[in-house]
Amino acid sequence: MPLLTLFLGIPIAYAAGASLISTIATSSGAASAYIRDKITNVRIGMGLEIATTTGSIVGSLTAAFVYSHGLAWIVYVVFGIVILMSIIPTAQRGRYEIPDPRPPDWTTRVFKLYGSYYDEALKTEVRYWGVRWWLGELIMFFAGFISGLLGIGSGALKVLGMDWAMNLPMKVSTTTSNFMIGVTAATGSALYWYFGYIQPMMAAVTAIGVLIGAMSGTKILVRITNKQVRWVFLAILAFLGMEMLLKGLYMDHIITIPVATQYALSLIFTAIVMSLLYYRYGVLARKPNREGVVMGGGNA
Amino acid sequence: MPRWDMDYIIGLTLRYGVIISIALILIGIVLFHVKGEALGCSENLVMSPTSPINTTVIPPGYALSRLPYLDPLSFIILGLMVLIATPVLRVALGVASFAMERDWLYVLITTVVFINLMLAIFILPSIMHLHANYQLLRILCPQR
Repeated sequence: MPLLTLFLGIPIAYAAGASLISTIATSSGAASAYIRDKITNVRIGMGLEIATTTGSIVGSLTAAFVYSHGLAWIVYVVFGIVILMSIIPTAQRGRYEIPDPRPPDWTTRVFKLYGSYYDEALKTEVRYWGVRWWLGELIMFFAGFISGLLGIGSGALKVLGMDWAMNLPMKVSTTTSNFMIGVTAATGSALYWYFGYIQPMMAAVTAIGVLIGAMSGTKILVRITNKQVRWVFLAILAFLGMEMLLKGLYMDHIITIPVATQYALSLIFTAIVMSLLYYRYGVLARKPNREGVVMGGGNA
Repeated sequence: MPRWDMDYIIGLTLRYGVIISIALILIGIVLFHVKGEALGCSENLVMSPTSPINTTVIPPGYALSRLPYLDPLSFIILGLMVLIATPVLRVALGVASFAMERDWLYVLITTVVFINLMLAIFILPSIMHLHANYQLLRILCPQR
């Protein structure tokens, strides 16, 4: 919830606490619906939870160190970088549904990373398997660390771990990552609770607001196309990422530019990024998109 | 028990966990608007985004003991605790679910996840001596 810290001027630790609490609500709420669709792979999710919960503990302890030593600017800078880095995967997402299969490795057999689900859009039963469990765990530790440090669900990183590292279908990655977010956030929230990053009234109002937003949002979203939403979302990511980064650097006096100029710079940055992305993924991707949906595109 | 049943129970747990916690939080917010104070603290102090009233000054036991007096923050604290407990319960049910399938590797994996949760909720805070400070709450919000 970077919006919270940026526009209301509230302490970033309370914002992180409220955000992490709301993440549990949306994750559990959505997971209760997904579990009936049988797309979520509970085995893969639970196996990766070892790394995300461990990462979340380390991340929350790091957050406590950072806040107690007046180093909050680090949180802004890391937050900005994380947001900016998530632009590319978000722009690429949805270009393919099913990845090109890779040969199963030893982790596929030992950890039983097989699965199948019925794909409504493709009207077929999709069989799949995961590979490189260890690489998935490594990325999940980092995802958990970022979740604990910043108080976010870090779903984008979790999807990256399953989609890119373990070569799982996008639908499996997104639903399983959502299932995992709740457990990761519960770990971080418990430590945040003891560190005093949870202002009860703020966390309460935020959780309710986010839940209402998530419920009504999905109803509105189905009426707009996926692509339109993605462009709006990307623009927000670019602006917030740059703004957080500049604010963090400004707080530590690494750069000294007025706040108004920071906003202006962020807007210019957003415009440049959006036109680049539109050229790369809007104009160039239009052709291969037609035949590339079912076949799936590379794994880069 | 067939697998479908366990999935169904897990789905219900998650759903009702969220519903109960949101209901408790909403009751707390409504009570707060009616009463205009919580745990002896003024409306402004509780609402302020820079409020010193956070989870380090509210001992959970004390908050829960004020539930019969319909204290707004007691309901909110209980709601937040239920919210955090929901995924924990889900992991515990996961251990049971894998045990029923006799998948011992995943029983072990899920148990490790559960231990991590216990580490964050009980063990680490007790090692680090992180206890809520009731005296501070009374200094900030003297009881009438």
